[in-house]
Amino acid sequence: MSFWIRRLASIALAVGGCFLIDWFAKENLKDFIVRLVVLAALYITLAVSLNLINGITGQFSIGHAAFYQVGAYAAGLATVTFYKSQPLGLALWIPLMMLVGGVTASVAGLVVGLPSLRLRGDYLAIVTLGFGEIIRIVTQNLKVVGAASGMAVEPKMSTPMIWLAWLLAITSIAVCRNLLQTAHGLGFLAVREDEIASSAMGVNVTRTKVAAFVLGSAFAGMAGGFLAHYEGFLIPTMFTMDVSFIILTMVVLGGSGSVTGSVIAAILLSTLPEFLRDIQQISMAGLVAAAISIIAGVVAVRYVSQHVHTPSTRRIAYPGAIIGSIILTVVLSKVLAFIPTLANASTDGSRIRLVIFAVTLVVLMLVRPQGLLGHREFGWGSLRRSEA
Amino acid sequence: MMLSVRGIEVYYGAIHALKSVSLEVEQGEIVSIIGANGAGKSTLLRTISGLLKPRTGEIEFRGKRIDGIAADEIVRLGISHSPEGRRIFTNMSVQENLQLGAFIRHDKEIDQDQEKVMERFPRLRERIKQNSGTLSGGEQQMLAIGRALMSRPSLLLLDEPSLGLAPNLVTEIFSIVLELNKEGTTILLVEQNAHRALEVAHRAYVLETGTMVLSDTGKALLANPKVKEAYLGG
Repeated sequence: MSFWIRRLASIALAVGGCFLIDWFAKENLKDFIVRLVVLAALYITLAVSLNLINGITGQFSIGHAAFYQVGAYAAGLATVTFYKSQPLGLALWIPLMMLVGGVTASVAGLVVGLPSLRLRGDYLAIVTLGFGEIIRIVTQNLKVVGAASGMAVEPKMSTPMIWLAWLLAITSIAVCRNLLQTAHGLGFLAVREDEIASSAMGVNVTRTKVAAFVLGSAFAGMAGGFLAHYEGFLIPTMFTMDVSFIILTMVVLGGSGSVTGSVIAAILLSTLPEFLRDIQQISMAGLVAAAISIIAGVVAVRYVSQHVHTPSTRRIAYPGAIIGSIILTVVLSKVLAFIPTLANASTDGSRIRLVIFAVTLVVLMLVRPQGLLGHREFGWGSLRRSEA
Repeated sequence: MMLSVRGIEVYYGAIHALKSVSLEVEQGEIVSIIGANGAGKSTLLRTISGLLKPRTGEIEFRGKRIDGIAADEIVRLGISHSPEGRRIFTNMSVQENLQLGAFIRHDKEIDQDQEKVMERFPRLRERIKQNSGTLSGGEQQMLAIGRALMSRPSLLLLDEPSLGLAPNLVTEIFSIVLELNKEGTTILLVEQNAHRALEVAHRAYVLETGTMVLSDTGKALLANPKVKEAYLGG
């Protein structure tokens, strides 16, 4: 009984939270930030769902944008075809279309999942990559969906349904987290660890892999269904390989297998490049100083992680390196400013934002190859444990 | 007859790994299979547990044909395989490993059985929340056996449980094998440590390059001059 009360309360809290985000964002934030809030939710969904396939079940899939695209086009096409008679209000119609996108994408997941079962590691990666490209190129040449010039999805949402995007994100998180609590969820992890041992335990490896593909692509498809009605326009270039790689980066960066890690990395990577647009002018002296300090910081962290075994020193390695690099940057930039060529030159921040983005990734992978959270999760359970 | 294997032929690609191998296990027995490296001992266990498919021949468990049935279904029939090299899930905790051992079960006595395993292997209790990759070799072997017991098998397939263990641990493992058997589990054991394996066995088979060459009671094989020369160091 108390189980259901708690469950209902947490669902109510999640839904309430989504509407709170929606209300807050619309009241207080600029349109450009609202867009980031929506995109962050979609990327959370995409990263968490790819994490189910890649991180949790260990199937190296790198064509996740394809399922996103299948969902978007299926939902968009359904709206264009069937909405004329206005059977439902948009607030009901769009979630329904997201389900259509999800179901279609999960069928695509089944189609990719089944023949891929015999493949492992890099071979599977190649197949999923190829599948992604096939989907994109087919839509590029398909007249029904507007081919390369794209397809308008009418009607689109009148105002961004932020709550719906976040509801989807939270649902995907909840499904993955709850799955991991069950015996079946443990089976998914077991398949990642050792397929032979898993089947010796009675885990149906085939079914588990296909289930991961179907469930993961279903969520990507629902995110696509949302995107179709949010943008009101779909074009194949929205779903290039870059998108797949960004989602994959989120999963790896967050720590393969960690749902929490995927969420944090999704928020970081979907918003960081946009915020970097705000940087105006950077002097060359500062840039060179930052580069040198980052290298020094990375070297220091790697040295500590490999050669120092005192727990207290290891614990302060990350904060120490961050603070140290910042101080070093400030000091060095003052010193380097004495060199006239560096002092007088400067560059536009927006031009190097992708460089900064890339450097951030490289640095993170060097100092934390296991990802931000490794295999760990953040949860109330771990909070309780740390108090005890 | 609990398990009977009749004339199975198993190939790895072009390699003929098992040549018309037959064997029988009665309810309540400990049956050992001894043989040198590469004789096909592990292949035989993997074929029984469904990880490999025989090209010809029959495997029958409690009167039911099981060759060609998927490995995860065979576990449900009551055969539990503790595979070669232990193959515990090293990135998971000891407890998660045990829970996975009970993957096929949905009854309420799983916790009770976990308690029993921890009583049998007190060191697992000490390390129950610990990552199993940090366990010592002996502890990992105990976990592998404990995990295999969690499915409540009627037939337990043990592949080289003594491999890489210190002599006192080997003694401990074999006394556990005897204990399990007294409690009613039928055991099919594959070992390179022929002496120990023959000591605990009711009956034993000798496998040589894919062919069964001898079978007798454990005691008789211990005394057999050919076995002495080839497997017991003269």
